[in-house]
Amino acid sequence: MRKIIKSAMFGLGLALTAPAVAAGGAKPVAVLYKNPQCDCCETYAKYLRVHGYEVKVQATHDLPLIKKKHGIPTALEGCHTTLVGGYVVEGHVPVKSLNKLLAQRPKITGISLPGMPTGSPGMMGPKTKPFKVFAFNKAGRSAVYSVE
Amino acid sequence: MLGATATAAAAVTGCSRVAARAGDIQLAAKAGRARLLSDSTVSTAVFGYGGQVPGRELRLRQGDRLRVSVKNELQEETTVHWHGIRLPNAMDGVPHLTQKPIKPGETFLYDFVAPDAGTYWYHPHHNSSQQVGRGLYGPLIVEEAEPIKVDRDITWLLGDWRLLEDGQISDDFGNMHDSMHAGRVGNTITINGRAPQPLAVRTGERVRLRLINAANARIFGLKFAGHSPKIVALDGQPVTPHEPSGSVLVGPAMRVDLIIDMVGDPSLKFAVEDTFYKGLEYTLTTLEYGPNPLRQALLTTPIALPPNRIAEPHLRAATRHEITFSGGMGGGMGMMGGGMMGGGMGMMGGMSWAINGVSATSHTHEPMLTFARGKTVVLNLNNDTAWWHPIHLHGHSFRVISRNGKPTAHREWQDTVLMPPRETAEIAFVADNPGDWMFHCHVLEHQAAGMMANLRVA
Repeated sequence: MRKIIKSAMFGLGLALTAPAVAAGGAKPVAVLYKNPQCDCCETYAKYLRVHGYEVKVQATHDLPLIKKKHGIPTALEGCHTTLVGGYVVEGHVPVKSLNKLLAQRPKITGISLPGMPTGSPGMMGPKTKPFKVFAFNKAGRSAVYSVE
Repeated sequence: MLGATATAAAAVTGCSRVAARAGDIQLAAKAGRARLLSDSTVSTAVFGYGGQVPGRELRLRQGDRLRVSVKNELQEETTVHWHGIRLPNAMDGVPHLTQKPIKPGETFLYDFVAPDAGTYWYHPHHNSSQQVGRGLYGPLIVEEAEPIKVDRDITWLLGDWRLLEDGQISDDFGNMHDSMHAGRVGNTITINGRAPQPLAVRTGERVRLRLINAANARIFGLKFAGHSPKIVALDGQPVTPHEPSGSVLVGPAMRVDLIIDMVGDPSLKFAVEDTFYKGLEYTLTTLEYGPNPLRQALLTTPIALPPNRIAEPHLRAATRHEITFSGGMGGGMGMMGGGMMGGGMGMMGGMSWAINGVSATSHTHEPMLTFARGKTVVLNLNNDTAWWHPIHLHGHSFRVISRNGKPTAHREWQDTVLMPPRETAEIAFVADNPGDWMFHCHVLEHQAAGMMANLRVA
């Protein structure tokens, strides 16, 4: 936990000078698909950038088709959909879980923080309970991946 | 009367569709195929009136009686709503509220007089996200007794489709993402049911362009490069001619009548762009000038339309009501309404939209408000959401008297007021049409997810 916080702070400091590279070296480019009128997705993109990811934001009206194409179970849908390092990352997933995913590279389709919980990255308001991040596979099965 | 006007109408209608005249008309709601894409080898399975998209343009003169026999040849129930027409309640086409739904194989006769000249349209009010989204709609044009002078009277019925790669309609109607965000905004635009083609124009020509937004959810913001269109009517009702501030905004179900003087030089081309969604701007079509001018000097005849006879609201004697819209995904502030801010699985299933805290699940609920017949009503509308909403009242036109506390410049009559996120608007009208009237968001997915109410005039 301490290590993660340190890394996050380091990332914040670096953001002013070298936004594309974080403590752990170069990270894969993330493509974030979002509704053109949604603000929280932009805030999440900034959050990823602060943590060392290069993010390409793509506004689209086809989000329901994109979510279907990438096998996101309905119950796990969030707001925006991000493709990064060969994985699907759905919603406001905290970077700790994302980094873990890209470091361990499990055989899953992706991970999701369903809905838009307040206090999650890119969302205003207080965090009212731990965030449950779910893993899912192509068959539509899901399990808890991490709790933050 | 009908015969005499038919020739004139044909002369001013610059579209390929045959304009139907008032009187007895048969309309069948049925499945069909349409060529929506510029690739003419692909046809799309649609629903349509007469199996075509859009349904035939119905044209009549102000004060004429329209009798339309609607046969349901679909596999599901339907109704027809005559959007914007101030007609008797029993003809309004709202299932269970004003009529029984038309069952498959059944026929229903709609019979009413069109009191107001202007640009209107017709569409189902049953399972409407899907039925409209599959193409059930058509233009309804009520001509003025003494029309203004134009060279051409053109209808652009704007359609929006969510198509898959094979050109067929995506069947993901009712998905949670659309419901809780901006509605079902599609990926393919049509004008009068076809991929937009350039509009051939001539220097000096004056065109009346009737825009009808038949999309489930898409908002259009049109810019006519090199031209200065004047708005002369909104939702069918005349307004003081004026240039739009920015783009010509047309929310779902809204109509805008433009007068465009073709001021370009011969053989030039000008883009018509839709700039509403940031990052997703595109060129809708182009105005393409022919080599020969129609005339050297522009017409100087008046473009103001004669007003329709609508009872003027008496604001000092008005009954006032507060109306708050809530729900949907929050713009960075959590989900609005309902307290559904958890992080667990399936939590989105409980989300909805609401009017004054009530999320309606059918057309038949008790009236939210009852107005005394003949009295002026002012509704102070408060959009407490992160999304745009075109708010439609049935059976009446209302004046939009203020926005965000500031009086509107034109006090425009509308039947659908487009409300930006977090904004307010005051609307005023005389409740002079008795019955139970729907009051709802015309983003059809928002309506289906609870954003509707029933207002009674008694």
